[in-house]
Amino acid sequence: MASAITNATKVALTRPSNERLMALRQLQCSIFSTTFNPTSARTGAKYLKGRMRGPSMVDYYPKTMSFRDINRLYPGLDLVDEDEEQRVLDLMARKARGKGPPPKAKKAGEGRRAAKKKR
Amino acid sequence: MGGMPNVQVLRDVSRRHAFASTELLRRSYLFVARNTTLPANVRLQAQLQLTNMPGNTRPSVVKNRCTLTGKGRGVLSKWGLCRYQFKQRAMAGQLPGVQKASW
Repeated sequence: MASAITNATKVALTRPSNERLMALRQLQCSIFSTTFNPTSARTGAKYLKGRMRGPSMVDYYPKTMSFRDINRLYPGLDLVDEDEEQRVLDLMARKARGKGPPPKAKKAGEGRRAAKKKR
Repeated sequence: MGGMPNVQVLRDVSRRHAFASTELLRRSYLFVARNTTLPANVRLQAQLQLTNMPGNTRPSVVKNRCTLTGKGRGVLSKWGLCRYQFKQRAMAGQLPGVQKASW
Protein backbone atom coordinates (compact mmCIF):
# COMPACT_ATOMS: atom_id res chain seq x y z
CA MET A 1 0.00 0.00 0.00
CA ALA A 2 1.91 2.99 -1.32
CA SER A 3 -0.34 5.48 0.37
CA ALA A 4 0.85 4.20 3.78
CA ILE A 5 4.29 5.86 3.34
CA THR A 6 4.15 8.99 5.40
CA ASN A 7 5.95 12.23 4.73
CA ALA A 8 8.33 11.62 7.62
CA THR A 9 9.39 8.25 6.18
CA LYS A 10 10.09 9.92 2.84
CA VAL A 11 12.39 12.42 4.49
CA ALA A 12 14.20 9.67 6.33
CA LEU A 13 14.66 7.62 3.15
CA THR A 14 16.15 10.45 1.02
CA ARG A 15 19.95 10.56 0.89
CA PRO A 16 21.46 13.38 2.98
CA SER A 17 23.30 16.07 1.05
CA ASN A 18 27.03 15.71 0.47
CA GLU A 19 27.74 18.59 2.82
CA ARG A 20 25.86 16.88 5.62
CA LEU A 21 27.67 13.60 4.99
CA MET A 22 31.00 15.44 5.04
CA ALA A 23 30.06 17.14 8.30
CA LEU A 24 29.17 13.73 9.72
CA ARG A 25 32.58 12.35 8.77
CA GLN A 26 34.29 15.36 10.28
CA LEU A 27 32.34 14.82 13.50
CA GLN A 28 33.28 11.12 13.47
CA CYS A 29 36.95 12.04 13.12
CA SER A 30 36.77 14.51 15.99
CA ILE A 31 35.04 11.96 18.22
CA PHE A 32 37.38 9.05 17.47
CA SER A 33 40.41 11.36 17.13
CA THR A 34 41.33 10.26 13.63
CA THR A 35 42.57 12.52 10.84
CA PHE A 36 39.96 14.20 8.68
CA ASN A 37 41.43 14.18 5.20
CA PRO A 38 38.58 14.07 2.64
CA THR A 39 40.81 14.71 -0.40
CA SER A 40 43.34 12.04 0.70
CA ALA A 41 46.13 14.60 0.45
CA ARG A 42 49.58 13.20 1.24
CA THR A 43 50.48 14.57 4.64
CA GLY A 44 53.55 12.46 5.29
CA ALA A 45 51.93 11.12 8.45
CA LYS A 46 53.14 7.61 7.74
CA TYR A 47 56.74 8.75 8.28
CA LEU A 48 55.84 9.84 11.79
CA LYS A 49 53.54 6.94 12.65
CA GLY A 50 55.77 3.96 11.91
CA ARG A 51 57.87 2.37 14.63
CA MET A 52 61.54 3.27 14.80
CA ARG A 53 63.59 0.66 12.95
CA GLY A 54 67.00 1.59 14.34
CA PRO A 55 66.98 -0.35 17.64
CA SER A 56 66.06 -3.69 16.06
CA MET A 57 68.55 -3.10 13.25
CA VAL A 58 71.35 -2.49 15.74
CA ASP A 59 70.44 -5.70 17.59
CA TYR A 60 70.72 -7.94 14.51
CA TYR A 61 74.16 -9.38 15.20
CA PRO A 62 74.82 -11.17 18.51
CA LYS A 63 77.02 -9.24 20.90
CA THR A 64 80.70 -10.19 20.85
CA MET A 65 83.20 -9.52 23.63
CA SER A 66 86.77 -8.61 22.73
CA PHE A 67 89.67 -8.46 25.16
CA ARG A 68 89.46 -4.70 24.95
CA ASP A 69 85.78 -4.78 25.98
CA ILE A 70 86.50 -7.06 28.95
CA ASN A 71 89.41 -4.91 30.11
CA ARG A 72 87.24 -1.82 29.81
CA LEU A 73 84.46 -3.44 31.83
CA TYR A 74 86.78 -4.78 34.54
CA PRO A 75 89.74 -2.39 34.75
CA GLY A 76 91.66 -4.38 37.40
CA LEU A 77 91.61 -7.66 35.50
CA ASP A 78 94.27 -6.76 32.86
CA LEU A 79 93.78 -9.84 30.67
CA VAL A 80 96.41 -10.27 27.98
CA ASP A 81 95.34 -10.89 24.40
CA GLU A 82 98.08 -13.25 23.26
CA ASP A 83 97.17 -12.98 19.58
CA GLU A 84 97.44 -9.21 19.73
CA GLU A 85 100.75 -9.39 21.61
CA GLN A 86 102.12 -11.77 18.99
CA ARG A 87 100.94 -9.50 16.17
CA VAL A 88 102.71 -6.51 17.67
CA LEU A 89 105.88 -8.59 18.25
CA ASP A 90 105.81 -9.78 14.63
CA LEU A 91 105.41 -6.21 13.41
CA MET A 92 108.39 -5.08 15.50
CA ALA A 93 110.46 -7.95 14.13
CA ARG A 94 109.53 -6.99 10.58
CA LYS A 95 110.43 -3.39 11.23
CA ALA A 96 113.82 -4.42 12.65
CA ARG A 97 114.50 -6.26 9.40
CA GLY A 98 113.68 -3.13 7.42
CA LYS A 99 110.32 -4.43 6.27
CA GLY A 100 108.27 -1.69 7.90
CA PRO A 101 106.16 0.86 6.04
CA PRO A 102 108.12 3.25 3.77
CA PRO A 103 108.72 6.78 5.06
CA LYS A 104 105.95 9.16 4.15
CA ALA A 105 106.56 12.44 2.30
CA LYS A 106 106.39 15.55 4.47
CA LYS A 107 104.87 17.62 1.66
CA ALA A 108 103.07 16.83 -1.58
CA GLY A 109 105.49 16.30 -4.47
CA GLU A 110 108.35 15.11 -2.24
CA GLY A 111 107.46 11.44 -2.21
CA ARG A 112 109.55 8.66 -3.71
CA ARG A 113 107.28 8.36 -6.67
CA ALA A 114 107.41 12.08 -7.38
CA ALA A 115 111.23 12.03 -7.18
CA LYS A 116 111.38 9.18 -9.70
CA LYS A 117 109.34 11.10 -12.28
CA LYS A 118 111.30 12.85 -15.02
CA ARG A 119 111.54 16.64 -14.58
CA MET B 1 81.56 -20.98 15.85
CA GLY B 2 81.28 -17.30 15.17
CA GLY B 3 84.25 -15.72 16.88
CA MET B 4 85.25 -12.20 15.96
CA PRO B 5 83.19 -10.59 13.20
CA ASN B 6 84.93 -9.98 9.90
CA VAL B 7 85.44 -6.56 8.42
CA GLN B 8 82.27 -6.68 6.31
CA VAL B 9 80.22 -7.32 9.43
CA LEU B 10 81.99 -4.49 11.27
CA ARG B 11 81.19 -2.18 8.37
CA ASP B 12 77.56 -3.30 8.45
CA VAL B 13 77.38 -2.75 12.21
CA SER B 14 78.72 0.78 11.84
CA ARG B 15 76.12 1.44 9.14
CA ARG B 16 73.40 0.17 11.44
CA HIS B 17 74.56 2.50 14.20
CA ALA B 18 74.79 5.39 11.74
CA PHE B 19 71.22 4.78 10.62
CA ALA B 20 69.90 4.39 14.16
CA SER B 21 71.51 7.60 15.35
CA THR B 22 70.05 9.69 12.51
CA GLU B 23 66.73 7.93 12.10
CA LEU B 24 64.70 10.64 13.83
CA LEU B 25 66.24 13.37 11.69
CA ARG B 26 65.67 11.33 8.53
CA ARG B 27 62.05 10.74 9.46
CA SER B 28 61.51 14.44 10.09
CA TYR B 29 62.96 15.40 6.71
CA LEU B 30 60.89 12.68 5.04
CA PHE B 31 57.76 14.00 6.71
CA VAL B 32 58.39 17.54 5.46
CA ALA B 33 59.48 16.47 1.99
CA ARG B 34 56.50 14.17 1.40
CA ASN B 35 53.89 16.48 2.93
CA THR B 36 51.96 17.96 0.01
CA THR B 37 50.24 20.50 2.25
CA LEU B 38 53.54 22.33 2.88
CA PRO B 39 54.98 24.99 0.53
CA ALA B 40 57.03 23.63 -2.36
CA ASN B 41 60.29 25.40 -1.45
CA VAL B 42 60.19 24.04 2.11
CA ARG B 43 59.66 20.53 0.78
CA LEU B 44 62.50 21.01 -1.69
CA GLN B 45 64.85 22.12 1.08
CA ALA B 46 63.94 19.05 3.13
CA GLN B 47 64.56 16.81 0.12
CA LEU B 48 67.96 18.45 -0.43
CA GLN B 49 68.85 17.87 3.22
CA LEU B 50 67.85 14.22 2.79
CA THR B 51 70.06 13.76 -0.26
CA ASN B 52 72.93 15.52 1.52
CA MET B 53 72.85 13.12 4.46
CA PRO B 54 75.81 10.70 4.52
CA GLY B 55 75.25 7.56 2.48
CA ASN B 56 75.85 5.28 5.45
CA THR B 57 72.82 6.71 7.26
CA ARG B 58 70.46 5.26 4.64
CA PRO B 59 68.58 2.15 5.78
CA SER B 60 69.03 0.50 2.39
CA VAL B 61 72.82 0.16 2.74
CA VAL B 62 72.31 -2.18 5.68
CA LYS B 63 72.55 -5.83 4.72
CA ASN B 64 71.47 -8.79 6.79
CA ARG B 65 74.57 -10.96 6.79
CA CYS B 66 75.02 -14.37 8.36
CA THR B 67 75.20 -13.82 12.11
CA LEU B 68 77.73 -16.62 12.53
CA THR B 69 80.05 -16.37 9.56
CA GLY B 70 79.32 -12.89 8.16
CA LYS B 71 78.57 -14.34 4.74
CA GLY B 72 76.58 -11.87 2.63
CA ARG B 73 74.84 -14.20 0.22
CA GLY B 74 72.58 -17.17 0.70
CA VAL B 75 71.33 -15.93 4.08
CA LEU B 76 68.01 -17.29 5.32
CA SER B 77 66.39 -14.24 6.85
CA LYS B 78 64.21 -16.15 9.29
CA TRP B 79 67.24 -17.58 11.11
CA GLY B 80 69.85 -15.01 10.08
CA LEU B 81 72.13 -17.86 9.00
CA CYS B 82 73.76 -18.61 5.68
CA ARG B 83 72.60 -21.77 3.95
CA TYR B 84 75.55 -23.89 5.08
CA GLN B 85 75.29 -22.91 8.75
CA PHE B 86 71.54 -23.39 8.48
CA LYS B 87 71.99 -26.90 7.12
CA GLN B 88 74.52 -27.86 9.76
CA ARG B 89 72.34 -26.63 12.59
CA ALA B 90 69.17 -28.07 11.12
CA MET B 91 70.77 -31.48 10.70
CA ALA B 92 72.02 -31.33 14.29
CA GLY B 93 68.49 -30.55 15.44
CA GLN B 94 69.44 -27.17 16.87
CA LEU B 95 66.75 -25.20 15.00
CA PRO B 96 63.34 -25.73 16.62
CA GLY B 97 60.66 -26.79 14.15
CA VAL B 98 63.08 -27.50 11.31
CA GLN B 99 63.30 -31.06 10.06
CA LYS B 100 64.48 -32.75 6.92
CA ALA B 101 61.76 -33.11 4.34
CA SER B 102 60.61 -36.66 3.79
CA TRP B 103 57.50 -37.94 2.02
